[in-house]
Order: sequence, then structure tokens, then C-alpha cells
Amino acid sequence: MFHALQLEPGDNVATLVVDAEGNTELTIQAPGKTVVLMTVDPISFGHKVALTSLKKGDIVSKYGRPIGRAMSDIPKGGLVGVHNLEGLRGRGDLVQERGASK
Amino acid sequence: MPGVVAMATAPGAFKNGEGFEMQTFLGFPRPGEMAGTRNYVLVIPAGRLLNIAATRVSNYVSGTKTVITGGENGRHKKDRERLSRIFVGLAKNPNTYATIVLGAKKDFGYREVDPYILAEQISKAGKPVEVLTVEQCGGLNRLVESGIALARHYVHLASSVRREPVPIDRLTIGVKCGLSDATSGIAGNPSFGKAADTLIANGGSAIFSETVELIGAEEDVAARCVNRADAKRLLDMVAKVEEAAKRTGEDIRAINPLPSNIAAGLTTLEEKSLGAVRKAGTSPIVGVLEYATQPTKKGLHFMDGWQSSFSLPMSLAAAGCQISIYQLGGDDLPSIDPPMLATNTGVVAPLMMITGNPRTAKKAEDSIDFSSGAIIAGDSSVEQMGAALYAKIVSVASGELTRGETIRYSDALEPYYLGPVF
Repeated sequence: MFHALQLEPGDNVATLVVDAEGNTELTIQAPGKTVVLMTVDPISFGHKVALTSLKKGDIVSKYGRPIGRAMSDIPKGGLVGVHNLEGLRGRGDLVQERGASK
Repeated sequence: MPGVVAMATAPGAFKNGEGFEMQTFLGFPRPGEMAGTRNYVLVIPAGRLLNIAATRVSNYVSGTKTVITGGENGRHKKDRERLSRIFVGLAKNPNTYATIVLGAKKDFGYREVDPYILAEQISKAGKPVEVLTVEQCGGLNRLVESGIALARHYVHLASSVRREPVPIDRLTIGVKCGLSDATSGIAGNPSFGKAADTLIANGGSAIFSETVELIGAEEDVAARCVNRADAKRLLDMVAKVEEAAKRTGEDIRAINPLPSNIAAGLTTLEEKSLGAVRKAGTSPIVGVLEYATQPTKKGLHFMDGWQSSFSLPMSLAAAGCQISIYQLGGDDLPSIDPPMLATNTGVVAPLMMITGNPRTAKKAEDSIDFSSGAIIAGDSSVEQMGAALYAKIVSVASGELTRGETIRYSDALEPYYLGPVF
């Protein structure tokens, strides 16, 4: 029985396959091993938990590939989502900002 | 071994047990060593004015399909050619037995949707095709009458074609993922990828698309292209849509991932893309196709395309796919059965709806043809689910109806246009 999946060894997030409250012990299936982690936030099915503490600007990776950048510090066991993770591709808003600051 | 025909078997005899790979399906034989998984008469409205006539004929005559789009007016040549490729591709699809092209009159409107020019292109497939026009029939009402008579005639002729065991290398399947959630990249898409790998190992073909959803995963996909020119074209296609996304001035997350993706736990486009490309399995990519064009080789292909469920299944069918698979995430759907109406937007190619989310499978039993949700529950593997899905695809290819096919409902469809309109 596992509560979350870490897909690749270098990933710093895992995906929940259950709904979890905050301050709950999660069993995480990682490649070749199982790890245990306490949640800081409530995290729903399909959403991501930080496996390590992340600093603002750190690259977040899943599937062994970057999926974006932390917009703020994220504690180990914290929810990783739209409030603290931004994508870096296809960002028309960033192009506009750069254009405006010229 | 690719192309080897297993012993002829009745549908009930299909098994996917140990050491047995299904290498035939029961298909309708067509000219040019092709085979249909279905046996339709297609009614094409050559020009938007003919939509009403095509709808009337198709509604009246069982065994027919039509393709209703917003039409050609005010579109530039490249986009009109895209519409034309949709019409001709659907007619050439092996699931189409015969085609009726409805038009206004000779030399009316844009050449790309001229009924006679379309029919000329369609006739190269060696299947019955006929043009009926408003002018020739003596008015729109009479065109409908003549269309009904001809469609009934063709449907009756089509009924004399019998399914027979044909090599599985005559099967091309398409795939799209939709309402993606976290299970899509972990269970649903990898299971389809495994099924596609099996089909390809047996000599068949698969086409995946959704250019926007390569953003963030394109390097890995390009590296799987057998030839370098294809890898470059694929990267160019992705760069082009990313540039277009930036020109909107919006954060792409306000467009794609969709609100439903985000609510279900997918945060960025890169994350969605990395999960989406799992549906391409692990086979080498032997071809990169322009929108709505047919492969010339067997194996795995990427086709430039737009992911919308009222665009891509039709486009995959125009590229020659005889079945398309809609890999549904669906975690954000309302928890009632059915949370949405099963739809069948592949026109002549049935759309099979599958999911890797056990919660979706439960709430959308009415619409789901196959679930690989046991992977998320920890009760099965991608290998096992991929093998079971392959068996299901062969069964649908051999005549088993999808849930979507049991109702007569399809959205209005839209080819993937470049725009703008004038």
C-alpha cells in the first residue's frame, strides 16, 4: 500500500494517489524503495508533495525532467501547485513584461 | 514478427494469453490491401451551404456518417486545403465503403472544396464515389431526396462486404489524451503506449499528435525520430506553437493546462506535456506528418495537430486511423454517472474512451470502454494493462462497439486551422 508515487530517482516531488490531511504520514513508492514523509498541508489525490525543502527559484522536477520553478520557499511535505510553482514555457505574460520594461 | 498472419480466428477466439500476440483482426477488405474496422457510407458537404443537406441525408439513412464544420468562407488557401484534406482523408479512410459528395453546382466557390475536384481525389482510393449537386438535382430539397436514395443504395451494397481475418499490420490507431490529470501520465497514457508498442511490434501503426502538449517534452520525443530531418521538423512544429502562445501575451497556464487539469493537480504545461507523451510508448518514431496527412510507412508517427476533442479524432481519421483512443484523466469531472455524454468525434473512426483514473472509471462507467485504474490502486502494472488494452483494441477493430458508438451524437467539428480569417 502506498499513498504517493515518486516517478524518477531525481524528482523532488511525488504525486498523491489518496486524499491526505496535513500532518499525516505518507508512504511514498520511489524507484526501488519506499520512503515515509509527513505532510505539512492537506494534499488531494493527484496533487504533488515536496520531497525535500525547496528554495524560491529552485527547479521542480517530475518524470526526471523540469516542470517549472518554485515561486516561494516550499517546506518538505508541503503542497506543490499553482500557488508556488510556475511553468517556464509558452509564457506570453513574461514576454509582455520584458517588452514593457524596455 | 511483423506482417505474419496468425491462423484465421473467429472473434470469440481472440486471446491475449501467454506467448500469444494477436496478429489479425476481423476487418472489411478494401482495395489496396487495406481493411476497415467499420463499413460506413460518408456524405460530404462540399461547401458550408451543403451542411443542411448532408445532415438531412445522414440523419435519414442508417449506416452513414457526415462531417459538419464551420466551413471554408473567408479562409486562406492553406486553411482551405486543410479542410479539403479532412474531406478526402475521411473518404479514403478504410472504414469508408463509399462516399457521396454534395455540392452546389459546377465551378462554384473555392476550388479546394469543389465537389468534382474532391471526388476526383477520392476516386484514387478505388472505392465508389459520386457527386450530387443542387443544380443537377433541381434544388436543395431534391438534392436531399437524391442523396437519400443514393445513400440507401450504397449502404445496401456495403452490407454485402463481410468481415474477414486480415493482418494486424493493416491497423492504424490514433490517440489523444483529454481532461488530463495526474493519473494520465502515470497509468493511462503509459498503458496506451504499451498497447501501441505491441501493435507496432506486430507490424501496425499508431499516430499521436497535440503539438502544444510536446512543449517541455519535445527534446525526448525528437530524440526518438529515426531520421534527423523528422526530428528537426518536429522541433520546428513545437517552436511555432510556442511562439504563437507567447504572442497571446498570456501565461500559457491560463489557456493550457485547462482549469480542469489544474484542479486535478497538473500545475504547468511542462508537467502536462511530460505525462502526455507517455502515450507515445517507446517505439521509434518513423515519420512526422503535416496536419491531416497519411503516413507512407508502418510504425509510430507524430502528426501536427490541435488537441481539441472536436478536432483531433476527426483529423486522425483523415490521416487514416481506423480507431482513435481518447485517454481520459477526468478527475475534475462531476461525480455522477454519466458526468458527460460519450461522444464520437472521429466521424468514420470509432472513438474509444479509456482512463487510468479509478475514480473516473467509477463515475463515468457509462462512457468508459477500458480502465487501467488498477495501476494507481497498486493492483496492476503498465505491462498487464497495456496487454489487456491491446486485446480490447483488437476486439473493437473487429466489431465490438465503443460506448460512444451506441448513441447517435457527435459535436460539430473543427479542423485545425492556422488562421486568421478574412
